[in-house]
Amino acid sequence: MKKNKDSEEKLNIYEEILRKNSKRFPERKEHFETSSNIPVKRLYTQDSFKEEKTKEYPGVFPYTRGIQPTMYRSRFWTMRQYAGFGSALETNKRFRYLLEQGQTGLSVAFDLPTQIGYDSDDPMAEGEVGKVGVAIDTLHDMEVLFDKIPLNEVSTSMTINAPAAILLCMYIAVGEKQGVPMEKLTGTIQNDILKEYIARGTYIYPPKPSMRIITDIFAYCQKSLPKFNTISISGYHIREAGSSAVQEAGFTIANGMAYVDAALEKGLDIDSFAPRLAFFFNAHNDFFEEIAKFRASRRIWAQIMKDTYEAKNERSWKMRFHTQTGGSTLTAQQPDNNIVRVTLQALAAVMGGTQSLHTNSRDEALSLPTEESARIALRTQQILAHESGVADTVDPLAGSYFVEELTDQMEEHIYEYLYHIQEMGGAVQAVQEGYMQREIHQEAYETQKKIESNEEIIVGLNAFEVEEEINPNLLKVDPVLEEEQVSMLKSIRKDRQEKDVEHALEQIKHAAQSEEENLIPHILHAVKVYATVGEISNTLRDVFGQYEG
Amino acid sequence: MNKIRVLIAKPGLDGHDRGALVISQALRDHGMEVIYTGLRQSPLQIVQAAIQEDVDVIGLSSLSGAHRTLFPKVVELLEEKGAGDIPVIGGGVIPSEDISFLIDSGVKKVFTSGASTEALALYIKELIHPGKSTYDPPSKIAHIGIAVQSLDQTLPFYMDTLGLSLEKVEEVTSEEVKVAFLKVGETRIELLEPLASTSPIAKFIENKGEGVHHIAFEIDRIEDRLAKMKAEGIQLINEEPKEGANNSQVAFVHPTSAHGVLVELCEEGK
Repeated sequence: MKKNKDSEEKLNIYEEILRKNSKRFPERKEHFETSSNIPVKRLYTQDSFKEEKTKEYPGVFPYTRGIQPTMYRSRFWTMRQYAGFGSALETNKRFRYLLEQGQTGLSVAFDLPTQIGYDSDDPMAEGEVGKVGVAIDTLHDMEVLFDKIPLNEVSTSMTINAPAAILLCMYIAVGEKQGVPMEKLTGTIQNDILKEYIARGTYIYPPKPSMRIITDIFAYCQKSLPKFNTISISGYHIREAGSSAVQEAGFTIANGMAYVDAALEKGLDIDSFAPRLAFFFNAHNDFFEEIAKFRASRRIWAQIMKDTYEAKNERSWKMRFHTQTGGSTLTAQQPDNNIVRVTLQALAAVMGGTQSLHTNSRDEALSLPTEESARIALRTQQILAHESGVADTVDPLAGSYFVEELTDQMEEHIYEYLYHIQEMGGAVQAVQEGYMQREIHQEAYETQKKIESNEEIIVGLNAFEVEEEINPNLLKVDPVLEEEQVSMLKSIRKDRQEKDVEHALEQIKHAAQSEEENLIPHILHAVKVYATVGEISNTLRDVFGQYEG
Repeated sequence: MNKIRVLIAKPGLDGHDRGALVISQALRDHGMEVIYTGLRQSPLQIVQAAIQEDVDVIGLSSLSGAHRTLFPKVVELLEEKGAGDIPVIGGGVIPSEDISFLIDSGVKKVFTSGASTEALALYIKELIHPGKSTYDPPSKIAHIGIAVQSLDQTLPFYMDTLGLSLEKVEEVTSEEVKVAFLKVGETRIELLEPLASTSPIAKFIENKGEGVHHIAFEIDRIEDRLAKMKAEGIQLINEEPKEGANNSQVAFVHPTSAHGVLVELCEEGK
């Protein structure tokens, strides 16, 4: 009782001081709010959050505080820098450089023709070969890409969606050639087609057959690649397209539920595939809101998996996620400032309990990162891990009045989106109706208006500008590369057994036409006889049709 | 005047259309007709759409690095199809060293990351209707505003000593001031007396004492002019004009952009 009286007295004193002070030091703004428009109060107190939340523990359902009991005290997050440009040979060099520098996992960026299932000599590929990632046409390119990189020792994340099955099969085939059996392979394919329709744009087929390919992959991997993450359900690109933090988490979890529904419909057992589902989030500028987003998302996913889907295996309840710092927060102006932005965003990801992290390079608003910029980005993570001490205790912000209340509020708002999308008939339906696309676009436009009216300050962009010549040392992709890639492809086509290729493609066609047959073994066979990404994709296009955005 | 018609297009395979969508909506808000092509358009498809839709300008957006190949191709094909008079502008992630190459290839202008949609809209308006967004210089000094403690104590100097005649006295409640106008040739002296301690004039006197408070220029097309100033990065106290005395439309420019002087823009009531 005395304690209560004490704190009441203190509150009165505080309010008295506040009253006197506010005349001389009025607040900067009338209203403060997070990027998702959640009001931010002047002060949070012990009355701010529900008592039972302080009784949460890491490694224990609902995992608000993290999915492992010791988190980074056992092992740091995986430092995984996304890289890939030009030819397989050049990218292989960059990979080996990053591994030498202490990076602990690989992350492959593919060029756009590969991501959309076109060969480098397809007219649609003109000007795009090797530009935003590495060009892969056949198994040969993949062999070069992983030359002298033992696949039983690294885990590889591949940002590939519509043709994910093809690239996964190529990875399996490279492993086989290295003598690594497929059940030993570790890594992740992004394989998240729904967010492609929503935000990223590298779709090929309509939603229904696309969902079928994804569940074929789930079914194949549960037996043959038990250590491989079969999907990385991605909010990252949704956020980059302009969504708020709440929308990012809400739409991503809704997409995750759609994949679960599709797999269940196919007859898979929830606990056979759910432990291999992984997530991928953005770490944006609003520091505490981001941390609350990660904590709330973990809590929600655990609740849904346990209560709605009745998964029994604890591993099915745990939301594991990769994080990348927010590319769209970087400015072309005063690019070195981006190092500071990335540091803060990376810190939020670590405080939020991420399993792996990509830190962006300072020059990414201008072009692909140079080697020096990529190194600074990796060093940023290493400084956080080894020097800052933030990884030495689990979930250090738990019990913060503000962070706990914000976590609860994020949870509430994310659920609102989930209920709404459920009412619409689920994420696939919502995507087809363009619901998420509209919501995101509206938010993106509001943000742009806030920046142009200086309501939102971006340092170096609409405040604190300097006269500068933006002419840093940029990475350039050699224009000859497209020609070289095309002539390589031609010589592979000449050397392979054409009959085998035709036969393999025919098999894929039959499998695609029958709903029951799993496509993956047929695709694996085709890549081994050096069928190209374009040929396999075109075979499927003939059966499935193309999605028109 | 007919609405300006704009084709916004995404050439190549790049799926990042946040910028293209935001720009489409911003240009619509500026009164233009905008046709957005959607993703993955070949240069030929873009040119055909431009001709079919009879647009005044084409805006290309690319973030994948394919701009060096695809932007010039659009310009080339327009020439080929006899539509070389449709100007092409570009945007996206374009390294500065590529900009001159694109301009040499016939692209009119390149807007890169961080450019404001206001500046883009004005550029297009100027491109399509040249001359409409250049402005005549202010026609005169509309008035000089002087902050004073009390009109009663100040008026004798202006009326008796200088011999000016009092035009009128009125209260502007929104600004909590009482204003006296005295005519000097074609311009005026405006004396401002605060009516409350919260009035901006009261604050001015508290900080600086009595004295010259602002200079008002007579101008036309105040709304367009404000938009242009804003796009040029001039700091405005009022981004939209507000009602002034005599049905005029007025807006203030922040002293930081006017080198220490509070500048008022004034458009006479019609």
